[in-house]
Amino acid sequence: MKKAIQVSTEELAFQLAPSETLLEGLERTGHQVEYQCRSGYCGSCRVTLHSGSVHYETTPLAHLNKNEILPCCCRPLEPIEVSIGLKVKAKKSA
Amino acid sequence: MKYSTFSLADNDQLKEPMFFGRPVNVARYDQQKYPIFEKLIEKQLSFFWRPEEVDVSQDRSDYRNLPEHEKHIFISNLKYQTLLDSIQGRSPNVAFLPLVSIPELETWIETWSFSETIHSRSYTHIIRNIVNDPAVVFDDIMRNQHIIERATDISKHYDDLIQYTLLYTKLGAGTHTVNGETHQVNLFELKRKLYLCMMSVNVLEAIRFYVSFACSFAFAERRLMEGNAKIIRLIARDEALHLTGTQHIINIMQEGKDDPEMAEVARSCREESIEIFRHAAQQEKEWAEYLFRDGSMIGLNKGILDQYIEYITNHRMDAVGLEPIFEKATQNPIPWINAWLVSDNVQVAPQEVEVSSYLVGQIDSEISADDLGDFEL
Ligand code: FES
Ligand SMILES: [Fe+2]
Ligand SMILES: [Fe+2]
Repeated sequence: MKKAIQVSTEELAFQLAPSETLLEGLERTGHQVEYQCRSGYCGSCRVTLHSGSVHYETTPLAHLNKNEILPCCCRPLEPIEVSIGLKVKAKKSA
Repeated sequence: MKYSTFSLADNDQLKEPMFFGRPVNVARYDQQKYPIFEKLIEKQLSFFWRPEEVDVSQDRSDYRNLPEHEKHIFISNLKYQTLLDSIQGRSPNVAFLPLVSIPELETWIETWSFSETIHSRSYTHIIRNIVNDPAVVFDDIMRNQHIIERATDISKHYDDLIQYTLLYTKLGAGTHTVNGETHQVNLFELKRKLYLCMMSVNVLEAIRFYVSFACSFAFAERRLMEGNAKIIRLIARDEALHLTGTQHIINIMQEGKDDPEMAEVARSCREESIEIFRHAAQQEKEWAEYLFRDGSMIGLNKGILDQYIEYITNHRMDAVGLEPIFEKATQNPIPWINAWLVSDNVQVAPQEVEVSSYLVGQIDSEISADDLGDFEL
């Protein structure tokens, strides 16, 4: 069975629920994340992966450099660390 | 390198570089050097839509009731979009096709440019509906100083490349005097022009268009001009794919994967590439000045649009391996734009506007193996 996976960002760590995408998890926790297609072809959501690994159900169309992942369509396989910060507003209320 | 519409060289297409190899002969897709372009073609085809299928009739009365300064914003924005797609509907074909050497990239360029012609046709659809005489809008594109300034800048890199390609293919490398003008012609310089042109196209599709989208959606946020917004959403979906296409091309060039000299070309163009981004951002800010000259609109003004320009410029530079140039612009000042840009609208339906992909009966082309797991043939 899929379990929650620990995601660490520049500012906090949270548990990614099995039912949510990494993008949804980052949004839920107030991160400054971009998106457009939410299905792997625009590349807007691209972030850098510092540790851990992810998997894609189908190879996304967007261009990725080494160490970059697409939160909208990847599935972390183990705890991961990504470089992304919080939204300014979320920071204030946090 | 001589162009032929059907090169008679019995070549192995898998060994040709993206550009500057032998011209493509057989249009075959059973084997692909870069399958990504074939995937982009398929995706673009699955996005096919027709402007006439989008109902824009409500926009007519919305437009009539807009205050004058907002009419100016709306129409000027539309004129600018018309200009951009006029260029994109032809230029990738004219400039890139004579240089391409692999069939999947050749067909991607044609498919890409074709989709731009749909965008152009959609502007006529929109304009016809909101004004009695569309000519008033279209004619002004060629007479409006603010728009013409942009046109020159955007078409410059395409024209440069096209002219230089003509010289190279006709006369070859060397110093040539044509009509009293002396040209130094060599392949390295031709490659540089192609690379810079690709960068400027990326800027057009990844920055200039998005600035215009912000304006279109700012009306829709207030439940105005929603027919227009539906069309712009379809256009935005296509543009996202186009910029993925140019990002792939640029990246393959930078890595020198199939033409090692291209990596050197890319390095030599670095400063100029940054300048293309910087200049475009500056020009978009000047455009914002013109848009809001008679007043702002609710939700969007020159200051906010400027911040968005800087933010999106940084974001796009990063995607093609360039250091962001606007240090402070790390936050999206108009996060609501994403809810409009989102293509499949799985989560947020901004207000009541119908989901554009349902509207045109788009077929979901992405069926994963899991979906078919229980099927037996
Ligand atoms: S949102 Fe488009 S690739 Fe992730
Ligand atoms: Fe377009
Ligand atoms: Fe485009």
